[in-house]
Amino acid sequence: MTDVNSGPYVQLSGVNKWFGSLHVLNDVSVSVSEGEKIVVCGPSGSGKSTMIRCINRLEKHQTGEIQVNGIELNDNRKNISRVRQQVGMVFQNFNLYPHLTILENCTIAPRWVKGIERKEAEELAMRYLERVRIPEKANFYPSQLSGGQQQRVAIARSLCMNPKVMLFDEPTSALDPELVREVLDTMAQLAADGMTMICVTHEMGFARQVADRVVFMDEGKIVEIAPPNKFFDTPEEERTRKFLRQILH
Amino acid sequence: MDFDYILRALPDLLRGAQTTIAVSTLAIFFSLCVGVIGSTIRSSGFKPASYLVTAYVEFIRGTPYLVQIFFIFYGFPAIGLKLSVFWSGVAALSIWASAFHIENIRAGLASVPTGVNDASGSLGLGRLHHALFVVLPIALRSALPSMMNTIVSTVKNSAYLQAIGLVELTFVAVERVAYDFRVIEMFASICAIYLMCVFTVSGLGSVLQRRLDRPYGGR
Repeated sequence: MTDVNSGPYVQLSGVNKWFGSLHVLNDVSVSVSEGEKIVVCGPSGSGKSTMIRCINRLEKHQTGEIQVNGIELNDNRKNISRVRQQVGMVFQNFNLYPHLTILENCTIAPRWVKGIERKEAEELAMRYLERVRIPEKANFYPSQLSGGQQQRVAIARSLCMNPKVMLFDEPTSALDPELVREVLDTMAQLAADGMTMICVTHEMGFARQVADRVVFMDEGKIVEIAPPNKFFDTPEEERTRKFLRQILH
Repeated sequence: MDFDYILRALPDLLRGAQTTIAVSTLAIFFSLCVGVIGSTIRSSGFKPASYLVTAYVEFIRGTPYLVQIFFIFYGFPAIGLKLSVFWSGVAALSIWASAFHIENIRAGLASVPTGVNDASGSLGLGRLHHALFVVLPIALRSALPSMMNTIVSTVKNSAYLQAIGLVELTFVAVERVAYDFRVIEMFASICAIYLMCVFTVSGLGSVLQRRLDRPYGGR
């Protein structure tokens, strides 16, 4: 399954996490190799978001091991910072900086994390804003953009840090239905360019089209991992079949 | 109204105004620093320090300002802290204004959406850069109106410091009234000077507010 030469790029082994007495991640193990596209789905509260938030340490796991490109995630701040520079993340609610222009949203991290000169950072930002087809909004503020446009900016902002992996946490769930397409197209284009991606989403069309493997989670556990064809057509677990009946109507 | 008299008193009044401006400016500066530190402590999860800050705020808000001034001017030397009249004034004014700024800024910090923390975390932005470039401007926008109230009150409350013998604007006016009985002339003049100071400060505040409102559809 994994390429022997490159090895897994992101690896979770036996990861556990509790919120108080609630066991949100129950012995989660999964490895993602370079260039692979993973779609994570499951009912709400199944631990999908928590799992991907552990990959860049926005959440802390309690037991088990998480490695990104060979760097182990623990309390070592240097490791966390190195991992965060290689892992981009896009959120359900975009989380753009409301007080900064689109261009400033994209340049703040390159300038202050990587120390890139302002002018160079702006050129970099414009390249990625063109890639998500929104360069004309560079000097607007987030409040002046539609949800779909804001989410594409959020993708560009992440790409400006030149990440090796992109995490998507339900990137289309907060969008009006007619704006979902533009964001999914941007993500599909990113996938076609070879980006390693882990996407929490309920967009099953996207999963079929883009994913190499689909991970199904329930009650903090990984129930099933399968390529999309097998996952949708002949899932092994009864719990997966029940979930698919619910969402595919 | 005797304008000639006002003109002759003007050099004295301006010297008083100078002290008023000096004492207020220093107090505004110190109280903003303490406000930022105090509100950060209060918003942090560290309970003992947070309770201490809360106690400070409640004490200052619950006691008369004039009593606080006397407390500092007569009380500090008793514990071995000898300050001049001027610095006692700065201390009293700063300690009073800090309590209000702690509350003002805390409200501002509460208005920062939690999502930007995730954004900065995922981008690898350091804590200092996040505080300076993200939290501060967002918090300042909603805290500024109440901060401006406190700042304007700081300027006006410097008048109380005449009670400990600080020769500021009100002290000068009161003293001249005691000698010359030109009550209207003196109090009208110092009102005009106070108003000019306050308008300058609140004008600067509005300029800053407009700048901070721009991203949110303000003009």
